[in-house]
Amino acid sequence: MSLLEVKDLDVGFETKMGTVKAVNNVSFQIDKGETFGLIGESGSGKSVIGMSLLRLLPRNAIVKGKALFDGSDLLAANENEMQKFRGERIAFIPQNPTASLNPLMKNGLQLSEVFEQKGHTRRDSWNQALEVFGRLLIGQPATSASKYPHQLSGGMRQRLIAGISMSLEPQMVIADEPTKGLDSLTRRSTIEFFRQLEGEHDRSMLLITHDLDLAYEICDRLAVLYAGEIVEMGPAQKLMDDPEHPYTRGLLKSLPKNGLVPLEGSSPSLLGLPKGCFFSERCEIHKQDCMNRHPQLNQNGGWMTRCLLT
Amino acid sequence: MLRYLSKRLAYMVATVLAVCALTFFLMNIIPGGTAELILKHTVLELEEIPTDEQIAEISSQYNLHDPLYVQFGRWLANALHGDLGDSYIQKKPVSYLLLLRLPATIMLAFTAMSIAILIGIPLGILCAVRENRFTDYLLRIVTLIGVSMPGFWLALLLILFFSVTLKLFPVAGYGELKYLVLPAVALSAHSLALTLRMVRTGMLEVMGQPYIAFAVSKGLSARYVILRHALKNALLPTITVLGMSLGHMLGGAVVIESIFSWPGVGSLLVDAISGRDIPLVLGCVLTIVGVFVTINLLVDLVYTYLDPRIRYG
Amino acid sequence: MIMKSINITKSHLFYPHRIKWASYHRIMANRTVAICLVLLAAMVFLALIAPWIAPYDPNDIDLKASLMSPTTEHWLGTDHLGRDILSRLLYGATTSFSIAISVVIFALTMGIILGGAAGYFSGIPDDIISRVIDLFLSFPSMIFALAIVGALGSSVLNLILALSLVHWASYARLMRGQVLSIKSNDYVSSARVMGASDCRILVKHILPNALSPVIVLATLDMGHVILSAAALSFLGLGIPPSIPEWGSMLNAGKEFMRTAPYLTLFPGMAITMTVVLFSLLGDGFREILDPESEVNGLVAS
Repeated sequence: MSLLEVKDLDVGFETKMGTVKAVNNVSFQIDKGETFGLIGESGSGKSVIGMSLLRLLPRNAIVKGKALFDGSDLLAANENEMQKFRGERIAFIPQNPTASLNPLMKNGLQLSEVFEQKGHTRRDSWNQALEVFGRLLIGQPATSASKYPHQLSGGMRQRLIAGISMSLEPQMVIADEPTKGLDSLTRRSTIEFFRQLEGEHDRSMLLITHDLDLAYEICDRLAVLYAGEIVEMGPAQKLMDDPEHPYTRGLLKSLPKNGLVPLEGSSPSLLGLPKGCFFSERCEIHKQDCMNRHPQLNQNGGWMTRCLLT
Repeated sequence: MLRYLSKRLAYMVATVLAVCALTFFLMNIIPGGTAELILKHTVLELEEIPTDEQIAEISSQYNLHDPLYVQFGRWLANALHGDLGDSYIQKKPVSYLLLLRLPATIMLAFTAMSIAILIGIPLGILCAVRENRFTDYLLRIVTLIGVSMPGFWLALLLILFFSVTLKLFPVAGYGELKYLVLPAVALSAHSLALTLRMVRTGMLEVMGQPYIAFAVSKGLSARYVILRHALKNALLPTITVLGMSLGHMLGGAVVIESIFSWPGVGSLLVDAISGRDIPLVLGCVLTIVGVFVTINLLVDLVYTYLDPRIRYG
Repeated sequence: MIMKSINITKSHLFYPHRIKWASYHRIMANRTVAICLVLLAAMVFLALIAPWIAPYDPNDIDLKASLMSPTTEHWLGTDHLGRDILSRLLYGATTSFSIAISVVIFALTMGIILGGAAGYFSGIPDDIISRVIDLFLSFPSMIFALAIVGALGSSVLNLILALSLVHWASYARLMRGQVLSIKSNDYVSSARVMGASDCRILVKHILPNALSPVIVLATLDMGHVILSAAALSFLGLGIPPSIPEWGSMLNAGKEFMRTAPYLTLFPGMAITMTVVLFSLLGDGFREILDPESEVNGLVAS
């Protein structure tokens, strides 16, 4: 039974230079308790997808499609309804924990305000916040809660952000690049932290990342994005062990452990996407037909690939 | 923290001193002129030319032959005891005249600043929230004009409209609230425009920060996010600018007070300059600069207190 | 109720194809700059040819024609001495522009030299100059200008001197900051490694980049100077009364507001319009030359 069903999600940004198509007809499902990954390069649209689900995009974003969460369409809800979804039912763990914390607000308050908004008293909320702080391993709860974000280390801020997002025990968490920019030690501990989160409470997670190792370790299923489109989708480990789509293959070969073989070329401009396969220019097995016909997703059991040749 | 404070205090004092010294120097730049001035204001009839003897007598009486820095030192020493000399024109002690008129200026400036803040901040937020929509454009045009038009012209227009045509407010006077309205409004214009623009810019910048998006994603209401998260961050740079704009306001007060015959230090200064009343000029400059520098110091302190990154660096 | 319809997040996501030079704001800024330049050029032109196109001598006293409303003979009316307002406005433009340009050039030169030196040479010269800059910046400009003009007397030269002394410090501080940040840039170090002399480095590498915000400041300053000069003249302390100036016209006109309100209307509008144009021009320049600039257009120096 799917908790989240995204159908034909399409996001464009209006700029004076034209419409930038960041997300092109993306559809996927996430079941209860499942961890679903969205992987791809920078600019592939994955963060946009995450933000669009919670309607966090700027005013010039044009969002089309449906995103059914437990039956209700998130993309059709109004501001009041969205407020009830955010935090309580779906949470968002943003990139860059440092920039996502208000530098002028005490740490504890940034957590307790979530409880206050839901109706708890100030004292109650603060106590609950202290409890959460205790579990986050960022020093003495009372002390850390009274401090400010700049007084915490990078890893602590990451845990704090995650802790804040999950404080209302949402059914689903969207994690945007949780390991971006972290040194290998912190990255390790973050991965552990997320694995723990994932195990708890039957929670679903939408993991957005370009960290392929992270995706391999904790995702159940994943989708590979290219130029705003899903080019491959299937069971995580199997897909990454033996990918079908040439892009995914190229992506995996470029990993250090696989030889650091670079993918030639760069992704197409989102202002004017080609009519054929988006990847055909850089594809090592492309044929003439690929430039003219835009491939659909071919289904094969639980595995989908968008390629004319596989 | 304390070191910072004492350093700033010392700097403050140095600034005031330097300004006074500069003014003193400027006013005494014409040799012999001071003696003539004094004579003009005391003994001489109109158009009468002072004799050399009179000049010599006054010079020795007021010790005008001493080098300038000595004269200034004397003034300074006296000033520290509260004695700022006597006004040439009005024959009364300068300090007395200043104390008499300082409250009026403070009241005017305080009211004007309050108007600027109380109206500027909400409107600035409004503009940011309605960025590039009609309200925003309209207010931006209004503030552009507000900041480009001479303060005294606005004052005249207000008088023309409210006093002459509508007969709602009196033109000049002091003592009741109705006399305060027009001058305060005229004086507040620049600072109001500045505040609005700073708050708007600050808010827009803050709203583009990731922590705002995160706050929204937590399920907090838009109103809460704007008032509790965005505003404080946006106001911080605004505070500093407002402190500086106070200097501009004090300058503007000089002109506004003259127009409305508002009995403050500003109009006193203008009269003093016109009449080359040196002790009075010095006294007024000392007062105005002193007030300005003090307020800036306070603003700095407030800023330091409010920004935890500095406080707990 | 306001809050319901807003979307307050602006998103830190920079989708990949944000090409700075072609962005929307720069295009709009270009248009604004173009319009302002045209209008200002027209004003300057009018000011320059004022002696030829002014219908009357601005100091021509004609008491029989005093306080006339706009008529076909006197398009903008006459003042209490019968002088033609239009002519006075035109000559006033000449006055304002010449004063503004002189002050800005003076202040700019002083500021660039002192600020540049402070930034480039560092050490003790920097300390001294910085203190002086801070000092000049920390007092209310109007008071300072008043004191100078009051002390030295009303003349065009004194006015220019006074205003230059008031305004130079902002340029100096800006310039110093620019030089400091550019000095540590790699391309300067590489020039030095290749043997370029101090002077050459300054002129060829530092100056061009440092000048952008200075240009913005100078443009905005033109407006501020015009306002300051008008204020001083309004108080009777700037320009000698024989020279037509917008501020002193307002001073003269304020006595007759009941009977001849246009005396206050026209000069004020002239001042406002000029300052608005300079502000818009300055803002436009900032968008084009220096979008990350910290020069705040509304902070009076």
